[in-house]
Amino acid sequence: MPVITYREALNQALREEMQRDSNVFLMGEDIGLFEGAYKVTAGLFAEFGEKRVRDTPIAEEEIVGLGIGSAMVGLRPVIEIMTINFSLLALDQIVNNAAKLRYMFAGGVQMPLVIRMPEGGGNQLTAQHSQSLAVWFAHVPGLLVVAPSSPADAKGLLKTSIRDNNPVIFIEHFALYNTRGELPDGELLLPIGKADVKRVGEDVTIISHSRMVQVALAAAEQLAGQGISAEVVDLRTLRPLDKETVVNSVRKTSRAVVLEEGWPTYGISAEVTAFVQDMAFDYLDAPIRRIGGAEVPMPYARNVERAAIPSDQTVIAAVKELVA
Amino acid sequence: MAFSAEEMLALYRKMLLVRRMEEKHGELLASGDIWMMGHFGTGQEAVAIGITAPLKKEDYLFPTHRGVGEFIGKGMVPKDIWAEYYGRTTGLAKGKGGLHLSDVRVGLMGLVGSLGADFAVAVGTALSSKMRGTGQVTMIYFGDGTSNQADFHPSMNLAALWQLPIVFACANNQYSELAHYRETTSTEHIAPRAAGYGVPWKIVEDGNDIQAVYAATAEAVDRARRGEGPTLVEYKTYRIAAHFTGDPGGYQPKEEIEEWKKKDPIDRFRARIIEQKVATADDLENMNREVIAEVEDAVKYAQESPWPAPEDIYQDLYA
Repeated sequence: MPVITYREALNQALREEMQRDSNVFLMGEDIGLFEGAYKVTAGLFAEFGEKRVRDTPIAEEEIVGLGIGSAMVGLRPVIEIMTINFSLLALDQIVNNAAKLRYMFAGGVQMPLVIRMPEGGGNQLTAQHSQSLAVWFAHVPGLLVVAPSSPADAKGLLKTSIRDNNPVIFIEHFALYNTRGELPDGELLLPIGKADVKRVGEDVTIISHSRMVQVALAAAEQLAGQGISAEVVDLRTLRPLDKETVVNSVRKTSRAVVLEEGWPTYGISAEVTAFVQDMAFDYLDAPIRRIGGAEVPMPYARNVERAAIPSDQTVIAAVKELVA
Repeated sequence: MAFSAEEMLALYRKMLLVRRMEEKHGELLASGDIWMMGHFGTGQEAVAIGITAPLKKEDYLFPTHRGVGEFIGKGMVPKDIWAEYYGRTTGLAKGKGGLHLSDVRVGLMGLVGSLGADFAVAVGTALSSKMRGTGQVTMIYFGDGTSNQADFHPSMNLAALWQLPIVFACANNQYSELAHYRETTSTEHIAPRAAGYGVPWKIVEDGNDIQAVYAATAEAVDRARRGEGPTLVEYKTYRIAAHFTGDPGGYQPKEEIEEWKKKDPIDRFRARIIEQKVATADDLENMNREVIAEVEDAVKYAQESPWPAPEDIYQDLYA
């Protein structure tokens, strides 16, 4: 199996789907000539031209609105928003139009729209450029929200998202673009709404998504050396949640840590904790532990920023408390 | 270009139908039979019908919340409007849309909740038509109030940059919600803003003259269809109705309203039809009775239609 980066995986998914379906096209800021702020669209402008790889003005609400309009009448736009932080400018379009028009027209229109954007901190980009806001979108009926953690998942889920007739919020992570992973041979399509057990274990389940899955895996590796066997479940899709995979794991291990990079208050870990206690209450040997980012706007100084983002050591400490 | 006799009568009938539909809505609200508030377009029928007349069925229209004018103009039929207003399964949105009418079969792309957000969506349908080479034109219809929404700027910019087949049609009815537009708008005219984007613009000084509205719009629609890009047209008119049906009013001077009632677009078109001997007053009175009967039948159809089942609440959320 070839080993590729998360960035290359996304690029392959875009290229393959554009080759397969001439209705698929890309829009975003500097995604064409410049090949994207994070180079995810490298080579696509050269291959598909300016009509299908469209550089747009810096106007997020406009780009998303254009995507909605063109998706309603026959095209399959894939929008790149430079970072999730700028999606706040497009919230009305996403929440009021992308998520609702199909329902408000009783299926009179389709909404085959993908909005890709990276989130997360760790680059000293400070409060307004380091946010993890996936849960804002996962809250909204009518949207699908995907947040892959590995190159293979990124490729398989992006291809499926592009083929889906619903609006998909596709969340990437700055710190994942250069990470590497094996890619299965052949056509790779992964279903939206299916979690994945990334590491099998017996003593505790760590539930996470996106970059925090890598943190969980690093923690699990170290815990194994200390005699604790941790299972790592990658949610992969935040809406709809694959409750079955999560609950099956917790029923086996009887302990759960739920980890997210974003603020935990009203967060993804809150939602996961709620359904796990509901569906696996009798199996739990300990309270469910939640770990999230510090509840502050992200500070700048390197050491303080690091302290604000959950690390493998945070996870190891929480797991040890649980299994003690 | 002058209308043929048939065109005049068809357009007049549509204007009458709009007026009678909105009057009926007011009656049904007063009697408590319907609870959805109305934002009527009384006095603006020449704009709503005149701008939609040059559009083809397959062209896309993004409507306003102000009454049913452009919905009727684009070809939506009264029974579909009432069925949705009544929230019944026979509505095109099966009772999920209400005021937010849509009829994609006739290119009516639906009323969005945040007026002005549809500037960008309309540029999107225009982009799609251009990329697919379908020859369809998109029209975004909006008021002086909505012209101050944020999406106006990037939408004009992109429509011009990419030379998209779109018409920006602005009804300046002088009131944005509960204030005269000059309290919230820095200039008397909206249309000249287009020059800032390199977009041609035009002001129709008498937006209560359907012939003038039609002529200016047809030129803009033809231009878009020829692939020459966007145009902004502003139509000067007046909102005789209050902003919404619970609006206590008071901010529109009585004398001003009375003055504009004398310029009622339906009365004026009626006078022209009789003067040009296209029809007699009796003919038009018969037409009026037909229109009233059509509205009554449509209301009855809606009232007798079944309610949606609560268990169908999740239908059409996802594809």
